[in-house]
Amino acid sequence: MTYFSYFKAECLVLFRRKQNLVNALLFFALVIVLFPLGVDPSKAFLAPAAGGIIWCAAALATVISLESMFKEDYADGSLEQLLVSGLSISWLVLLKVLVHWLGMIIPLLLLTPIFSEMLFLPDGVLGVLMTTLLLGTPGLFLIGSIGASLTVSLRQGALLMLLLILPFYFPIIIFSTSAIQAVASGLPYSGLLAIIGAISLLALVMSPLMTPICLKASVR
Amino acid sequence: MSWSWFHKLGSPKWFFQWSKKWAPPVFCLGVLGIVVGTAWGLAFAPKDYLQGNVFRIIYLHVPSAILAESCYLSLGIAGFVFLVWQMKMAPIFIKAMAPIGAVMAAIALFSGSIWGKPTWGTWWVWDARLTSVLVLFMLYMGIIAIQNALDDRVLADKAAAVICVVGVINLPIIKYSVVWWNTLHQPATFSFMKKPDMPEVMWMPLLICVVSFYLFVAGLVIWRMQTEILRREHRASWLKTEVVGDGI
Repeated sequence: MTYFSYFKAECLVLFRRKQNLVNALLFFALVIVLFPLGVDPSKAFLAPAAGGIIWCAAALATVISLESMFKEDYADGSLEQLLVSGLSISWLVLLKVLVHWLGMIIPLLLLTPIFSEMLFLPDGVLGVLMTTLLLGTPGLFLIGSIGASLTVSLRQGALLMLLLILPFYFPIIIFSTSAIQAVASGLPYSGLLAIIGAISLLALVMSPLMTPICLKASVR
Repeated sequence: MSWSWFHKLGSPKWFFQWSKKWAPPVFCLGVLGIVVGTAWGLAFAPKDYLQGNVFRIIYLHVPSAILAESCYLSLGIAGFVFLVWQMKMAPIFIKAMAPIGAVMAAIALFSGSIWGKPTWGTWWVWDARLTSVLVLFMLYMGIIAIQNALDDRVLADKAAAVICVVGVINLPIIKYSVVWWNTLHQPATFSFMKKPDMPEVMWMPLLICVVSFYLFVAGLVIWRMQTEILRREHRASWLKTEVVGDGI
């Protein structure tokens, strides 16, 4: 096995188990639909809240889609094979995160203009919303991989993973929504984008360190 | 100076024997200090000219808030020690400390909210300091939850240590939230660098409260660690002689 063959295999697995990804995207759509139905469908409420609603839905959908990230590998024993393969498990984790991120972000970016239209997102904000999603979701996925590796041996790990991981998502969500609010009120926002990127970079350092520790402890 | 007494504390046996000597006096001193400090603060310290008697909740709020952060810092250090050096006592410490820290964060949030109502006119605002302490409380709850959810003890220890280390990122956010953002919460009351702005009769009881909260928590955590050692090492023969020697 090489890094490239692993990457190819992961892409294939993701493609053949499309239903997982589709479920996460449906979940994303349903969370968004909850807000107009549950709170207020008027433009006065939705227009300022649209960016935040899309971000919250994206964060929740990320947790849902990542929960099963290592679970199949753990159940069928391929996780053990990866650990003894001699390749760096940190790089393998990063490749896996990359595949899952690509699989999620492309449909998410395609869906976002549709939902932002449905939520009456103000004109000119869509570009910044897409940029924050592009900059912030790598952080979400990298932090999420730590959570997925913590709960890999649990049968019902989704709730625990939400509890553990969402507190670490707060900074990304806060800075993304404040960037969206800043651009909507005509303020400079590049500093906020830089902070989101910095958080994602920090996650890029932490995740390959922490995820293998939990995976190794889970397999043993 | 020899550090061997300190290194010995890394072994459950030595720690157990050492803690039997130290836990009761530290704990009792802490309780005594809390009684003295709060009585002084609540009954004898002068009234604040702006807030009146309401300010007296500071003698509960500030110590518990300081402890909530310090407890998490100690968890982060213990988590790091466990992940790097695999010391046996570190997960025992994490297990013993997490609920205490959670209670401290809860007390800080509750007392702050009670203080906020008469002074700010609201129980809660979503400002940076309050929100980050709420996140701290959730991190504590997450650590407790994962320890309870995972049946495999080695895995549970590792997982809790990972969360402890990663969560340390929240501490500077709490500490500097009042500096970085424009918040309703006032900046720090105490600092090592300069003398507090309050008169001595007001900050002396507060200092006593803070120090005795530290002692109280230290005594409590040593006690809880003893219990955890009893639970984990119940097969060891030294523990049997120890327990039988106590006449139980």
